[in-house]
Amino acid sequence: MAFNTTAAFFAALTVVVYLLTNFLYLRYRKTLLNPVLASTAILASILVLGNIPYDTYMLGGSWIGTLLGPAVVALAIPLYKQRELLFTNLIPIISGIATGVVVGMTSGILFTQLFRFSNELILTVLPKSLTTPVAMQVASNLGGIPSLAAVFVMVAGFTGYIIGPLLLKWLHIDSPIGRGIGLGTSAHGMGTAKAFEYGQQETSMSSVAMTLSAVLGALLGPVAAWLLLL
Amino acid sequence: MKIIYIILQLLAITGFYLLGEELQTLFNIPLPGSIIGFILLFTALMLKIYPLEWIDSGAHFLLAFLSLYFIPATVGVVEYGELFSGKGILLIPLVMASTFLTMAAAGWVSQYTAEKSAKRKERS
Repeated sequence: MAFNTTAAFFAALTVVVYLLTNFLYLRYRKTLLNPVLASTAILASILVLGNIPYDTYMLGGSWIGTLLGPAVVALAIPLYKQRELLFTNLIPIISGIATGVVVGMTSGILFTQLFRFSNELILTVLPKSLTTPVAMQVASNLGGIPSLAAVFVMVAGFTGYIIGPLLLKWLHIDSPIGRGIGLGTSAHGMGTAKAFEYGQQETSMSSVAMTLSAVLGALLGPVAAWLLLL
Repeated sequence: MKIIYIILQLLAITGFYLLGEELQTLFNIPLPGSIIGFILLFTALMLKIYPLEWIDSGAHFLLAFLSLYFIPATVGVVEYGELFSGKGILLIPLVMASTFLTMAAAGWVSQYTAEKSAKRKERS
């Protein structure tokens, strides 16, 4: 396939819609204008109204999706910059994140099994608390549906972002470590965006949690799937 | 000049990523190639094999648009209209409930462990 106009059009459309929603979000700070949520809604409406198949859109969409892999690699830099915070609180951080990852995966599998969903859907729900690029790769490695996994990652993200602060308050989780680790482990980047509103320490903790839970989740995902789907 | 640095650093990041992918297929590692690349880069930085300045601005540039890269995937929701109009809509409250449990467990355990180790330090 040489240079393809359709592909270029859909890649450009995605970027334009993203930049537009990003601009509006930064200006008005409304949760509903969150760039991912708003861009997804706009692009999905365009596809549905224009009767455009997702595969056609993905000719160009996949160009942008390719950047996910390198972006995950780049997350090593913020983690490296926070290495001091990481190494001085290593035990609380690791035990909190590990517990969260195990509880998240186990409850995800048990809840969906309870309602008799197919194994394919269970494996798609499994990595929901991991950051999108990792969740998609984990879902695809385990035999789930990557694009649907991305949808559940968004559901987890918005849950943490919108209802998370109420839950933390109710449970008296009020230290920077507790808040940051809770938000980052359960709601990845969106949780980290909320942590940013609490302060510097919460933000660092949350991004450490997001990164480490991605690594742990990628390692434990196959184990959880194997144990619970036996 | 800055642009050239950023491009070169983006290529370096992509190099770590491709190396991760390559190792993944070569040794059949049950981890995504991107995570292997992430571990390689983090290790290289920790061991001072690879200096931070040679990758910092490229990473900053790439991560500034992080949420853009997963939009094409989330647009894939259009393919699942049927799923979410039926029983599949239940998956949303289930994911939300599981997210609450995850947050409570991770937050509580880390806060409790941190308090305990702080007390232990006070005593000694």
